[in-house]
Amino acid sequence: MNTLTLPDTRVEAWRWADPSAITAAAALPVTRATDTDTLFLDLPGVRLLVVDGVPQVDGQSLGGLTFVTLAGSDHVLGAQAAGPGWRLDLPADSASDPVQIVHVSTGGSNQLPAEIMLGDGAVVQVVETYVGSGWSNRLTRVTLGKGARLMRAVRLLQTEGFVSLREEASMGEAASLVTTMLGAGDAGSRIDAAITLAGDGGSAEYGGALLTRAEQRQECVVRVRHTEPNGQSHQLWRAVAADRSTASLAAAVEVARDAQKTDGEQSLRGLLLQRTATVNLKPELEIFADDVKCAHGATVGELDAKALFYMQSRGIAPARAQALLTRAFVGDALVRIGDDTIRAAFEADADAWLDRALGGAGAV
Amino acid sequence: MLKINNLHAEIDGKEILKGLSLTVNAGEVHAIMGPNGAGKSTLGYVLGGRPGYEVTQGSVEFAGQDLLEMAPHERAAAGLFLGFQYPVEIPGVSNVQFLREALNAQRATRDEKALSGGEFLKLARGQADLLGMDYDMLKRPVNVGFSGGEKKRNEMVQMGIVAPKLAILDETDSGLDIDALRIVGDGINRIMRSADKAVILITHYQRLLDYVQPDFVHVLADGRIVRSGGPELAAQLEADGYVGIAA
Repeated sequence: MNTLTLPDTRVEAWRWADPSAITAAAALPVTRATDTDTLFLDLPGVRLLVVDGVPQVDGQSLGGLTFVTLAGSDHVLGAQAAGPGWRLDLPADSASDPVQIVHVSTGGSNQLPAEIMLGDGAVVQVVETYVGSGWSNRLTRVTLGKGARLMRAVRLLQTEGFVSLREEASMGEAASLVTTMLGAGDAGSRIDAAITLAGDGGSAEYGGALLTRAEQRQECVVRVRHTEPNGQSHQLWRAVAADRSTASLAAAVEVARDAQKTDGEQSLRGLLLQRTATVNLKPELEIFADDVKCAHGATVGELDAKALFYMQSRGIAPARAQALLTRAFVGDALVRIGDDTIRAAFEADADAWLDRALGGAGAV
Repeated sequence: MLKINNLHAEIDGKEILKGLSLTVNAGEVHAIMGPNGAGKSTLGYVLGGRPGYEVTQGSVEFAGQDLLEMAPHERAAAGLFLGFQYPVEIPGVSNVQFLREALNAQRATRDEKALSGGEFLKLARGQADLLGMDYDMLKRPVNVGFSGGEKKRNEMVQMGIVAPKLAILDETDSGLDIDALRIVGDGINRIMRSADKAVILITHYQRLLDYVQPDFVHVLADGRIVRSGGPELAAQLEADGYVGIAA
C-alpha cells in the first residue's frame, strides 16, 4: 500500500479521478462480513466467494476455476494486483455453466488478479458482485480464442470505500465480448479498461451505468483498440448523478491503419438529477484507417420536463415520475445483458439505488 | 363541476389569460373555439397545472375543491384529464406500465384498491379495442414512433382507462383523418357522455363537433371568452370566421 503512487490529475486518463479516495478507502476499519447468500443469483454453475481478496476454497480448483499465482500488469493499479488469484481456462468448443463470483470486502485493502482464457469457440458467462467496505482492487485479463464468446456482468455494490477494476482483454478472430458494468453502490469506483480486437471480425460491447449520489464519485476510462479489419465495437454508457456526486466517463475508440471496415459506436449519456451534480463525458476517436464507420454521441441533460408533466397529468406523483424516467434511461445500458435472471438482478439494484436517490420512489 | 372565475395567467411575465370566466356543469359538453394565440391551449395547461404557467388572479373550483392549490397529479386523481395537443413520447416506459402506474396512483390517492396486472390488462385491452388501437401498441414505449393520429387515439385510450370526471381535450381532432375522427368522436361520447361527467373541447374546427355535439360553444379571443352560445355558434364561426364575431 505504501508504495502505491497514482498518477496525478494532470494525466489525461486521471483528470477526473480522486486518488485520495483510494487511500481513504484502504484505511477504513475492518467490519464484519456481509450476508452473501442472497448475492448469488439463481443460476447453475460455480459459485466462488472471495473475502478480502482471498478465494474461500479448499484446494487448488473449483469447477473450472483454478487458483494460481498471477503476474500484475504494467498499469499502475493492475501492477498492484499481482499475487495469488483465480483462472478460468476453458478448452476449445466448450460451453460452461455461468461462473459467479461475490467479492466481500470487510475493510482495509485487498487485491486479486484473475485470468479468463477461452479457447476457440468456447462460451461462458461470468457474473461478479462487489459488496462491503474498504478498497478492493482487481486485475482481470481476458484472452478470447477464435469465435469464443464471453458475457460479463459486474455490479459494484460496496456501501463504503472504493472499487478499482483494471480490465485487459485481447480478442481473437470473430470473438465476442459483451461486458456490462453497473455502479449502484455508495462506494467510489474506477474502471480502467483496455480492449483489443486483435483478430478479424471481432465484436466488443463494453458499457454499463454509473449511478452516483451524495458526495460519491465513480469514473470509467475505456479504450477499445481495433487492430484488424471488420471489427465492431459498441460502448454504451449511462451516467446518473444526484446530489453533489460526480460520474465521469471517458471512452475511446482507436482504429489502426489496417483495421478497415471497422464499425465503432459510442453512446455516452449523462443525466443530472440535481443541478449540483456533475457528469463528465469524453468520447474519443482515433482513426488511422480510411474505410471505417465510427459514430459517437455524448449528451448531458436533465429529465425531460414535458415528459414529467405528462406523467403527472395522468396521476403519477413527481418523485415516481422521476423514478420511471430515470429507470428508463438506465435501462438502455442493461438491456445488453442477455440472461433474464442476471438482468433482473441488475435492474433490481438500479431500482434500489433510485429508491435511495429519490427518497423511496424507485422499485419500478 | 368546474367554476372558473376571472382567471388571469401569464407565461414568462406575458399575460395570456385576461379575466376568463366559465362554468361547466356535470352532463355538459363545452366547445372552446378561437383564433391562434387566443389562449386556448394555455387554458388547458393552467387547468392541468403545468409548471411555468402562473396564475396571477382569479379562482378555479373543481368538484368543490380549489383546483389551483392542487399539484398536477392530485388534479388527475380528483378526476381531471388533460388530453394533449402534442402527446409526449417517453422512450423506455411502456404504455402498459405507464397507464397501470397512472391508474393505480390515482386509485391510491382516492383510497381505492390497486388493480392487479390481470385486471388492468383486461381493462386496457378493452379500451384499446373500442378505439381501434392495436393491442401491440400498448406494449410499446409511450407514443414513441406513433403517428399523429395514433398519439391522439392513445390519449383517448388513456382517458377510457382512467375514466375522469372532466376531460379537457386540447385539439384532439388535429392530425386525425376522417375515419380516425369518427372513432375518436365515438370514444369521447362513449367515455364522457354521462350525467356525472363533463367535457371541454378545445378546437379550431367544426368537424369534431359533428361527432361530439356540444351543449355550449364559446369563443375565446385575447385571453377571455367574448361570446357564448349553442351549437349554432360553431356553424356560424365556420361560415363567417372569427374576425366578425370576436370584434
